[in-house]
Amino acid sequence: MGGGAGKPVAWTAFPTLKTRMGGEGREGRVVTVVPQGIVANSIDAYSNNIKDAKGHRQLPLDMAGAKLDKPEAGGFHWLAAREEQDDKVRVASTVYFFSNPGKNPTALFMQQKHELEIIPQPFPREHSRYRANEDWKFLVRFNSKPLANQKINLETQNGTKTELVSDAQGVITARMPDDFKAEVEQKTAGSTDNRRRSSDFVLATEYKEGGKSYLTAFNGSYGPDAFDQRSLAMGLGFTLLGMISAVPLLRQRKPAKQAADARQSAATETANHKDA
Amino acid sequence: MLKTIFPTLTRFRFAIQLLMLFVTVYGGALLGTYMVDRISQALPSLACAYDKKTGDQCILIVNQHQLHHRIGEALIKAQEITLKVFIPTLISVGTFFALFFFLNKAFCGWVCPMGTVQEIVYRIGRRLGRPLNRFDSGNVGRVRPVKWLMLLVLVLGLPLMAGMGLASNELGDPYCQVCPSRLVTTLLTADVEQIALRTSTGVNFFLGAAGNALFGFIIIAALAVRQPFCRICPLLSWNALFQRLSPMQLVKKQHDKCDKCSVCEKACPMDIHEIGREHGRKAFHEDCTMCGRCVEYCPDDDVIQIKFFGVKLFGSSREYYKQRVKLETPEGLPKNKVIWLTQAKENQHG
Repeated sequence: MGGGAGKPVAWTAFPTLKTRMGGEGREGRVVTVVPQGIVANSIDAYSNNIKDAKGHRQLPLDMAGAKLDKPEAGGFHWLAAREEQDDKVRVASTVYFFSNPGKNPTALFMQQKHELEIIPQPFPREHSRYRANEDWKFLVRFNSKPLANQKINLETQNGTKTELVSDAQGVITARMPDDFKAEVEQKTAGSTDNRRRSSDFVLATEYKEGGKSYLTAFNGSYGPDAFDQRSLAMGLGFTLLGMISAVPLLRQRKPAKQAADARQSAATETANHKDA
Repeated sequence: MLKTIFPTLTRFRFAIQLLMLFVTVYGGALLGTYMVDRISQALPSLACAYDKKTGDQCILIVNQHQLHHRIGEALIKAQEITLKVFIPTLISVGTFFALFFFLNKAFCGWVCPMGTVQEIVYRIGRRLGRPLNRFDSGNVGRVRPVKWLMLLVLVLGLPLMAGMGLASNELGDPYCQVCPSRLVTTLLTADVEQIALRTSTGVNFFLGAAGNALFGFIIIAALAVRQPFCRICPLLSWNALFQRLSPMQLVKKQHDKCDKCSVCEKACPMDIHEIGREHGRKAFHEDCTMCGRCVEYCPDDDVIQIKFFGVKLFGSSREYYKQRVKLETPEGLPKNKVIWLTQAKENQHG
């Protein structure tokens, strides 16, 4: 493996996987997966279409990274790179999904793929994403057994570094930091026309067993706070404006007109009763 | 037993509506986060994708995204237009019409969360003694074309133009930005994000302001107007395109008394005057939501029926009518119940 793949990024020493969308249009989409801070021969790609021929693929790495093409069924993909040297095992992992996410990916996420794992509980579904000031849960486990009181590091591209501890069920609740600088667009996510601000985060943990040291990281991207570039006051103001404009409909009509309507309706009902 | 729990069709329909309101607003919390990606992506009702707890999502966001991201972009790169480009759109529209095929417009009257919320607000309006504002046969025709404009411009036209680069990219899903169901369903999950106006660009701000004002108007208007938003909803026009193909039909026979009666017209929440005057195909109007109130309030046996593959599911009857009007007027005013604003009660008949 050569080129840029494998080199660590400036904002974290933990291993990460970078995904870049490419190809022409949605049908020919190919995603390039670039390992950062880890040396691996291939990328493991697990699909939520587990029984599909492309349920588990080993994507060869070249100078630019590994190519993940969109399967017919689309779907969620768990991507992982593994490095083992002497008594140290390092894993970088992330999730990517193509449009038309398809089957429930819970079985994919819970399937054991490595010794030490950090698993989103849940991962944001389509039309959703990690955002600042939101709490998201992750399960930390070793050989499928939850790790209680396990320390996990959270680092972001925007400079936040913090430490979390898992509960008795091996679950950590990570509050995505609100560390976006107000006037700076760090980068864009999705289509280049859709200028949604976003940044990267990584969760990482270490565990020792059987004379070996394991380090696993899970990375993803997150956006600013839900109310970034939104105004609740103006939203309520325009809602109130709409409400006020409907108030005239609530006024009683003139009694004479209303009484005439009522008499006519009552007469019809009575006539129908008699007929019946 | 069932007749005790559901003495009227309206009571039965309301129970279904409450169940579907729960599924369409909170279903994801019960059935799993990712269920929204599985149930349909094309439920023919306004189940909002912006609702983070929903169990499914409305076809309109799917339609807009496909026109914006697939077809619009492909039209610009003409050499790439293949059947493959259209397949996802055909699948989602096909799923929509497959579901719609069996139940026809009952999705509007029995499933749509926005329709249910408007009906609940209208019931509150009756108890508050608010007047009923109706569209008479002279002016209802002015409102009816709006739903077609909503479909052609906001759901189909602008997303396609945005995909082709002829309109701002922010117009990729303009209908969702003005849809009151987006605000209703998210507020029902205690999420106020959607009611906060997006201020990033002028287009976002304008669409959001229009959507919020429309939402405010609809919520108050529903106290005194039946189903105010349904009349302009693009799903009503989408559904209307194929309503004649479904095995579920509203059927009305010609009857001598219809000219003098018109109770079914009063019972119709969509002010379809044709139900009282016409028969056959013309009586099953494009605005019908298949709520069944016209059937309930027809005082003659089997003049109006709801049929499935030609089999009567529910038909009008004199006995049912006599019981029905004891409980509620055709306009929806409950009888023998306290009207909270007594002054208004004096002005209401019933």
